Amino acid sequence: MAQGSTAPPVAGRPPPRRPLAPLVAIAALCTMAVYLFATAPAPLPAQAQRAPAGATISVEQLFDILNNENRVARASWTADIVGAGKPVGLRFAEDWRESAVEAGPLPALFLRETAGYLEKHADGLSLFLGSAYPINAANRFAGSQVAHADALKATGQPQYFYEPSVGRQTAMFADVAVADACVTCHNEHPQSPKRDWQRGDMMGATTWMYPDKQVSVETALRLVGVLRAGFRATYQRYLDKTATFAEPPVIGTQWPKDGRFLPTVDVFMAEHARRAAPTLEALIHAAPPAEAP
Amino acid sequence: MKPKTRRRVGFAAGASAAAAALLVLTSAAGAHLHAAGPMNTGHGALACASCHVAAPGTVRQQVQAAVGRWLGTRASDVDVGFRDVDNHACTSCHERVDDRHPVARFLEPRFAAQRATLAPHQCVSCHAEHRDARVTVADTGYCRNCHQDLALAHDPLDVSHASLVAGEQWETCLRCHDFHGNHEYNVPTRLADAPSAERVRAYFRGGESPYPGPVRVKARVPGSSLKDR
Repeated sequence: MAQGSTAPPVAGRPPPRRPLAPLVAIAALCTMAVYLFATAPAPLPAQAQRAPAGATISVEQLFDILNNENRVARASWTADIVGAGKPVGLRFAEDWRESAVEAGPLPALFLRETAGYLEKHADGLSLFLGSAYPINAANRFAGSQVAHADALKATGQPQYFYEPSVGRQTAMFADVAVADACVTCHNEHPQSPKRDWQRGDMMGATTWMYPDKQVSVETALRLVGVLRAGFRATYQRYLDKTATFAEPPVIGTQWPKDGRFLPTVDVFMAEHARRAAPTLEALIHAAPPAEAP
Repeated sequence: MKPKTRRRVGFAAGASAAAAALLVLTSAAGAHLHAAGPMNTGHGALACASCHVAAPGTVRQQVQAAVGRWLGTRASDVDVGFRDVDNHACTSCHERVDDRHPVARFLEPRFAAQRATLAPHQCVSCHAEHRDARVTVADTGYCRNCHQDLALAHDPLDVSHASLVAGEQWETCLRCHDFHGNHEYNVPTRLADAPSAERVRAYFRGGESPYPGPVRVKARVPGSSLKDR
């Protein structure tokens, strides 16, 4: 302490008091440090909430698994419901939700309905569909997605990257014209900016986003379940809509390739599970075997 | 009255007034007295707790985490006192499967520029609460942020959309197109038949809907089941 700078006591007056404020501040800081750190309570769960426990897979593996699920469901819907349904009088349109319109969702809208379900139930998992030649100009790729879509088209390989503007792990997968219905609808649509699509062309890309770099196998399994629940909910909405048609299709075990039929939601999802079996295989192989005792 | 007595009476009066104020302000009936402002259109009957939910953890844990965040030892943000009122608080009542512009769609990477300017991925960017209004975004021509390239090959409107875009008449969009698509509405084919921009602005301020059709999906009332909608 700098005693030399203190004025000497004057005779007859009490010596000047030492200022208390610095001592109180130091004591408060010490108390705060003990309160916050030395006797710290357990950290808030949010701190560890997203740290995966047990066997994990990379987010790239998760995206591959989910993309396989989506590719299968999208092909089923496009080829077996939309493609086979149109010749037997089933309609699919952009305004399918309007009460006066007897139609179901176009393939892009089937995906969008499922994506909406994910936003509500999948804890940060997002799915989008875009293109360099979209029917609606507002769906054209922009920003970082342009270069990644170009690389996807050039290499045929999925693009994995981190999107800093939203802090999410991201993947883009080719969206290929898997059925004649894709090609004919996009070539004939009055608002289409490109009319020479051919089957097998990359028409656009799906974009997936998720917050974490590593995911527990348990979480991955749950997300596959949520995605399938999204397919189920979307297909059920279509079945509900068909019930309002003047001449509803027969709903049972048969598919539109057999006539004006639609499979029940259970039949549709059972077929999906059969075709998407590699998804579960991928998860089994992703989980390392437990060590022998 | 002696000065000492006067001082005691003053302290007692002050303490009583403070206790009474504390009692009123912390009671449910007095909640509106310390609200940030009047509730928005349709939200008048909401209780504070409908949106303002206590943050997880004890106060001590929250303070500890906030200090950790400030010192850089904690990676994620922390809510102290109450949770941030985020999209989930809004969509728990207003979620619809057929929303034309759901907020989540704007999380896609290609909307980075729009997120920086308009922040359409957050409900409160356009619907800031405690403003006594329905829509609080000042610019009713905000469609310009995404639809600059709009051109229709077979335009159903008597004044082409391309010419409206070229003329930057962005206030005309909302005259025909309800942003969230929650009104039954046969969109007019003559621009002159559409409601005026002033009616749209009045609607934003909390006035009557300029769109003639009924609301497709009503908001859920807190405490009711989703099936009640």
